Amino acid sequence: MTDHRQDRSALPKPSGTYPPTEEMLAEPVPDEVQAAQAERLRAAWATPKGFRYWTAVNNSEVGKWYCLTALIFMLLAGVMALLIRAQLAVPESELVSADRFNQLFTMHGSAMMFLFAVPMFEAISILLLPGMLGARDMPFPRLSAFGYWCFLIGGVFVIGSIFFDAAPRAGWFMYPPLATEDEGPGSDIWLLGLSFIEVASIAAAVELIVGTLKCRPPGMRVNIMPLYAWYVMVVGGMILFAFPPLIAGDFLFELERSFDWPFFDPERGGDPMLWQHLFWIFGHPEVYIVFLPSIAIAAMIIPTVARRPIVGYSWIVLSAVGTGFLSFGLWVHHMFTTGLPTISLGFFSAASEAVVIPTGVQIFAFLATLMVGRVKMTLPMLWIAGALAIFTMGGLTGVMLALAPFDFQAHDTYFVVAHLHYTLFGGMVFPVIAGVYYFFPFIQKKQLSERLGRWAFWLIFCGFNLTFLPMHLTGLWGMPRRIYTYPTGLGWDGLNLISTVGAFVIAAGFAIFVWDLIRPKHRQPQIKRNPWEAGTLEWTHDVPEEAWGIRSIPHVASRYPLWDQPEMQARIDTGRYYLPDAAEGRRETLVTSVIDAEPIQVQRVTGPAWITQAAAAFTGGAFIFPTFHWYPPAIVCAVLAVCCIIYWLWTSTARVPEAPSKDAGLGLTLPTYASGHASVGWWAMWITMLGDATAFASLVFGFFFYWTSQDDFPPEGAMHAEPWLVGLAALGLAVAWALTVGARELNRRWMVGAARTCLAVAPLAAAGGAAALMVSVLELEPETHVYPAVLWALAIWVTVHAGAGVIMQLYCLAGSVFGKLTPRYDADIWNVSLYWHFQVLAALVTCAVMGLAPGVL
Amino acid sequence: MTERKEQLEEFAEERASLMKITMGPLIWAIHFVICYGLAAVTCAKGWDIEMARAGLLVFSVGSLGAIVWVGWNSWRQWNPHETGDYFNSWGRAEDRHHFLGHAAFLLAIISFLGVVFTSLPLVMLGGCQ
Repeated sequence: MTDHRQDRSALPKPSGTYPPTEEMLAEPVPDEVQAAQAERLRAAWATPKGFRYWTAVNNSEVGKWYCLTALIFMLLAGVMALLIRAQLAVPESELVSADRFNQLFTMHGSAMMFLFAVPMFEAISILLLPGMLGARDMPFPRLSAFGYWCFLIGGVFVIGSIFFDAAPRAGWFMYPPLATEDEGPGSDIWLLGLSFIEVASIAAAVELIVGTLKCRPPGMRVNIMPLYAWYVMVVGGMILFAFPPLIAGDFLFELERSFDWPFFDPERGGDPMLWQHLFWIFGHPEVYIVFLPSIAIAAMIIPTVARRPIVGYSWIVLSAVGTGFLSFGLWVHHMFTTGLPTISLGFFSAASEAVVIPTGVQIFAFLATLMVGRVKMTLPMLWIAGALAIFTMGGLTGVMLALAPFDFQAHDTYFVVAHLHYTLFGGMVFPVIAGVYYFFPFIQKKQLSERLGRWAFWLIFCGFNLTFLPMHLTGLWGMPRRIYTYPTGLGWDGLNLISTVGAFVIAAGFAIFVWDLIRPKHRQPQIKRNPWEAGTLEWTHDVPEEAWGIRSIPHVASRYPLWDQPEMQARIDTGRYYLPDAAEGRRETLVTSVIDAEPIQVQRVTGPAWITQAAAAFTGGAFIFPTFHWYPPAIVCAVLAVCCIIYWLWTSTARVPEAPSKDAGLGLTLPTYASGHASVGWWAMWITMLGDATAFASLVFGFFFYWTSQDDFPPEGAMHAEPWLVGLAALGLAVAWALTVGARELNRRWMVGAARTCLAVAPLAAAGGAAALMVSVLELEPETHVYPAVLWALAIWVTVHAGAGVIMQLYCLAGSVFGKLTPRYDADIWNVSLYWHFQVLAALVTCAVMGLAPGVL
Repeated sequence: MTERKEQLEEFAEERASLMKITMGPLIWAIHFVICYGLAAVTCAKGWDIEMARAGLLVFSVGSLGAIVWVGWNSWRQWNPHETGDYFNSWGRAEDRHHFLGHAAFLLAIISFLGVVFTSLPLVMLGGCQ
């Protein structure tokens, strides 16, 4: 036993001096060494030129494309808003038809939410976070790139539909039966296109959470990381629990649209309320997913303009985490008028009021910082001030709407439209524009115009209030949302005209802002490196730009290192800190421990590639073709997407390193490989599976929801899944899990042959189990009633996941045979067994529901 | 192997300390889900709502007790009286330790208020109309 144990621990540990002593840091680096190191780093991180530029995966390039794409989608959705306002300017207008109007408002809402607000958070975070954390890049650059290309393809597909008069038109929350019965591909475009983008969002969430937890600079313990990183972590976690219910809902909805399985059809036992629940379990946290990272930008700007550390760092952490939790207890306030029991409404009304407390705490912390600091009223601060004013007004109407009796009156009127625009403009649009002005020197190494910025601010701020302040009154005077025209004489005419004028004033402001962004700035003199005199790490960036992210990764000891560690900048630039070199010409960044950011590994990160685009394009095909019921090409695309992803993983992740450890600088030697809990890949798998498990839990919730909403569920005399086959399925999948975990343990103990045998048998057990599950429901007719339909849906879910699990087992088997997976370098099998932990749980729950529920309920 | 084990233990301790700050909000979340779930099922299935209300109120008191316990522990971890440091803004191990106590303490307060808010309908509202 002892031999292999020793060998196991032969994966080297970090060794050498940590933390670095002052003498080590003070020792100068010879000039010629510096120059040679910089040259090698530059070569390793060079951005591809010419046509190959588009293969770049560097966070700075992908982040820019992501931001610009989201901006373009936002402008398109803005133009739709202008058309909506133009149509509503005067009563009985015939500018656009009712059908076109429905498409416009549906697409305006959907695009602003799914193609602008959430992707913009991901885009900005991918762009800024490595800089704030002194990391060279995100831990999985190709995953960011994959997410971006998915977003681009999905976004163009969804928004493009409006040019073909085929856009979704049932409102951005797609309520059945309107959306399920709607003819034409509109609803399918919404469901499949946006599901595809949600996958990209979850990919970004994984990337950002792992980046925040594992890629901080040495010494940056959790109590001193930038507040932006706290918000990113909270929002990443929220995405994992908020998006999957919608994905599960989309799955059921699309099964109803494509195959007429009656999940939301009351005549056959379905219930449209299930969609409302699943949608709003996503939809309400989503508002905070949009709001928190934007207000995080304010948390970065405010200390800089107040020229002092933030007041109440812990209070803001409380606010971010507290809001993150409470925001999941609010969703029914969108459903106050659906006839739920009073007591249920009471819970959600109370929670909706409670969320005001943490939200208010952070605003007071900002105000306190401004009060005790010496404020310099810069342009970014002007936008933040506008944001706080507008958001507070939106918050006040929110307090009103959270009271059920008031909501009964104002529901589905323009009062709600005014409220949501106040919260989203104040909570998202203004802080993001503030962030653009503030971070532009970091992103583009140029300054935006102070004068144009002030013009844009006052136009948008005044235009905004001109548009939306009167809408409160329009709503209270009874104008419902989503009507394409209205008769004269109801008192709405003047108010609507004012709103329309205001909308065009906003548009003028945006035109100035966009012009300022894109106008050529070649003649501008070189900017100062830290133009706002901020204290956080991103302002150590190189001017003019270098693609390496940071010259050397510093040791951080305070919340505002540039204010507290004056010698830091020079030491970074001379390569005095960690990873000052790329000796093997490979891209690397430092991985540190979760809480205390102690260096534990030098992580190789992936470089430019076409394979990510190919994978995204085929994934896109797999989602887009089913919209038109073209299933054969969809299946071909799905298979090719899987092939691309396998190729990508095989050729560039968890490769056996050329040396087990390397010199990381400052006398520290770090391992170049990690597996299990220590590796970033394991964390990514864990986080992904948490999201996946949430989606599965939403399906199971659906099953029990039908039980509560109906008197006979399962219905009298219904056929059930074949019990012995369900039992067999549970057995097969459990054996597959046990063999996978067994293979991992045998492999660790150098029993490679036995491990390979396990990995060869496990796929058979998994396939047998999944087949038994499918056969057990084969006799049931899912079109007839929701009970067989939901059993089918669960069986499909488990079978598809078992299929993915089989591919992973075979991947590990191949890895073992071809020397990619060895007893020492075994990250792949750790990740796969983690996947199977989740899968066996899902399989057993499914089998319990299918096999036991008929007897128990 | 022993090193590996040590590493695992250290890791577990690390994870635990970050998870600890979410203890208060988790109690709130569990309380909220059970209140909503039980009330919804009770109303849908025509069970006795008065019984459910009484049971949930007892559960609320229990949840509040648990949050107070979390709050008390995190107050002791924060320990501002003895250290004299309310902000813990530096990068030393003890700063991190006290800070996590501070954050957990504040989150316990917000969770306490959250549970009180969620319990108000149990006291003030009738049943299932």
